Amino acid sequence: MVLFEKHILNNGLKILVHRDETTPMAAVNILYDVGARDEDPDRTGFAHLFEHLMFEGSVNIPHYDRPLQHAGGENNAFTTNDITNYYLTLPAANLELAFWLESDRMLSLAFSEEKLHTQKNVVVEEYKQSYLNQPYGDAWLLLQPLAYDVHPYRWATIGAEIDHIKKVTLDEVKAFFGTYYHPANAILSVAGNVDPQKVFQLAEKWFGDIPAQKKPTRRLPAEPQQQIEKQHAVERDVPQDQVYIAFHMCDRNHPDFHATDLLSDLLANGESARLTGKLVHDRKIFSEINAYITGSIDPGLFIITGKPHPDTDIHLAEQSIWQELKLLIDDLVGDRELQKVKNKVEAGHTFSESNVLAKAMNLSYYELLGNANLLNEQVDAWFRVTPDDIQRLAGKLFRRDNASVLHYLKKDASEIKNFITK
Amino acid sequence: MKNRKQQPPVYIDARLPLIKPAATRLGNGLPVYFLEGGTEEIVKVEVVFFAGSYYQIKPLVAFATGNLLRYGTIRKTRAEINELFDYYSAHIQVEAQKDIVSVGMFVLGKHLPAAFDLFCEIINEPIFPEKEMNIFLSNKKQLHIINQKKVQHLARSYFNELIYGEAHPYGYRLLNEDFDKVQREDLVSFHQDWFHAGNAFCIVSGRIPETMATTVKRGLGAMKAPVTEEVKPPVYHMLSSGRRQIQLEMPGALQSAIRVGKQILNRAHPAYHRLKITNALLGGYFGSRLMQNIRQDKGYTYGINSSLVSLLRSGYFFIATQVGADVRKAALDEIYKELEALRSQPASDEELEILKNYLAGNFLRSFDGPFAQAARYKELLVFGMDWSHHEDFLTELKSITAEEIMETAGLYLREEEMMEVVVG
Repeated sequence: MVLFEKHILNNGLKILVHRDETTPMAAVNILYDVGARDEDPDRTGFAHLFEHLMFEGSVNIPHYDRPLQHAGGENNAFTTNDITNYYLTLPAANLELAFWLESDRMLSLAFSEEKLHTQKNVVVEEYKQSYLNQPYGDAWLLLQPLAYDVHPYRWATIGAEIDHIKKVTLDEVKAFFGTYYHPANAILSVAGNVDPQKVFQLAEKWFGDIPAQKKPTRRLPAEPQQQIEKQHAVERDVPQDQVYIAFHMCDRNHPDFHATDLLSDLLANGESARLTGKLVHDRKIFSEINAYITGSIDPGLFIITGKPHPDTDIHLAEQSIWQELKLLIDDLVGDRELQKVKNKVEAGHTFSESNVLAKAMNLSYYELLGNANLLNEQVDAWFRVTPDDIQRLAGKLFRRDNASVLHYLKKDASEIKNFITK
Repeated sequence: MKNRKQQPPVYIDARLPLIKPAATRLGNGLPVYFLEGGTEEIVKVEVVFFAGSYYQIKPLVAFATGNLLRYGTIRKTRAEINELFDYYSAHIQVEAQKDIVSVGMFVLGKHLPAAFDLFCEIINEPIFPEKEMNIFLSNKKQLHIINQKKVQHLARSYFNELIYGEAHPYGYRLLNEDFDKVQREDLVSFHQDWFHAGNAFCIVSGRIPETMATTVKRGLGAMKAPVTEEVKPPVYHMLSSGRRQIQLEMPGALQSAIRVGKQILNRAHPAYHRLKITNALLGGYFGSRLMQNIRQDKGYTYGINSSLVSLLRSGYFFIATQVGADVRKAALDEIYKELEALRSQPASDEELEILKNYLAGNFLRSFDGPFAQAARYKELLVFGMDWSHHEDFLTELKSITAEEIMETAGLYLREEEMMEVVVG
């Protein structure tokens, strides 16, 4: 249970505070309600590039990192398709410094052509390091546009292509800042050895005079219901094939979300999960296998992916996954097996509450979903899932006409031509 | 009133809220340490054996022995064990390193009693089924083959070989065929020789139930005591230092992985703390000289860092990065320039103060909570040390000067002693 207090400033900034007196630290998290889904289709990767620029100095503070390090702090950030999230931890006694830094960069940045140029280079190297120069690294860049036809989840956070990043101009950067980086579009949370009333005072002092702006309205094209199975195959210089199956699933706030989450756990969370136990350990079809959900705010994907052993044909391997999925449609899952995955998510949730940074991040995120207290309702939501829910959702999701299948083949594979390319 | 141009004052209190461990020794000789604390009902139990790859006489044996403990016991199959651990939501973590193999379990307090019995069973009574072993090794072989396609992975394994030599277990670079050569008997005898109470210690951390001392005594007290005839670890010789280079061309690679470094003193050496601070200035955090120059100023890379690794019988230092293939020469030049500058250009007062405050804050962070403290304590126990080691670090951190940092760099981090691996 994460107890918290909430306050909203006149300019619309929401603040959540959790007090934990067992730690000498404080964690500060600021979530901006903007992600890759908000990008122009010709400027994909923009939200993430912008995240880099947020560390390049603000209107009154030439360096972001130096004062924070001087206060014993550490920071980072990440961008997803939905959000851009900035976080830091520092000794609780230095909390005000975090407010000074974060409020100044919400006020305005120290925009410069030179810094934009350098960070474009850094992001291009990140693109290479994480996606292009890694075996299987571009699979996600292929899978998203295969699964989505119109929704902006069709491109990856890093950007659909390096060229989009290279083309970004300083005027576009300023316009993006103006639209998305202001109090009403942000959620601030603090967890650690702090007094909530003092945190609210600090928030008023440092953020209170940042001008209010209207929160932008989001109008994203909804992904239409998929009609037929989509298939795609690529050849790459990798030593082993990999199969990816993506099924469309519900959105984050849908009543079926938690049951869908447990469905993926039944398949691949833990060594005894169905796909891992049967297809890796018992039958030696795959050398590794995984199933997970993207958990995105708009309707997301349920992904199953595995690497068949070199002596196993990828089509037969894929077939063995479909057989396991059919069992979930045909037969009710047993009570003990369902309880097992509930125990696992409960433990995972409890572990995340043993860490101030995770608590601060979670408060911001659940507030964005509608209400920070949803954080404290997650375990109940998982525990309410019944075997019937699992069976119904398996039937709904695991259909050929709801699947996008990517075969990522080692270069000498010969059957590629039989595949229909999207 | 506030002044946005004025940094609020900072307070650095470089003291550590250390948990005082309660120590006991079981009848079979196993030392057990309890670190109590935390807000949630979670417990971690970790047993550390001095049974890393240094002790094996065939590649992968330490790794396979540690990882296969949970693949079958006298009483239970792999599938039964996995189902039970998953049902108790016990997270089992096996780390097979060069000096140690550790077997850890995170579990909610309410599942601890049942999960702990099973945890002891896999440690005390594993049978290493041959079929399971073969599947496990063939899966790991595939992973190894994939890793050979990663420039940073290749750079790491060639670097270790370069500094220690292929004949030394610290430097041995795994080959694909090594995965086919492990026999069940290797694991059985390795377990027999090294996985016993005289060659291990245990740390319990978190919200520890009052009955835990008794529970541990019953479960881990059953671990076999040391055999009377002591097994001696093998003796190896390391390569001496001296400049050496490896360049591995990978046609089509978009980036080159670079490692520059050398053998160096370890945690047990009196100059270790100074070297740690010197390393931090060079490449130990985001504000470090390497990061500021090569990423933030030049944009050659997504990241660059330098690190110190303490092994029981040695230690090493390395700088690691991945850079665009077109700028690798320029990046290497900058790396050597920064090494030179480390002993010729004193840190300014501002640079030194930021470094010291950052390290003090980072210290607090890395000791935050019982599990973080248990991890720090484990590192010390491996070297037979206690908390005073970290207290000494803080003393050094307060007093160290820019001149002492340059002097340390001059003694231990000279460019001409560095070895270099470039892959890509």
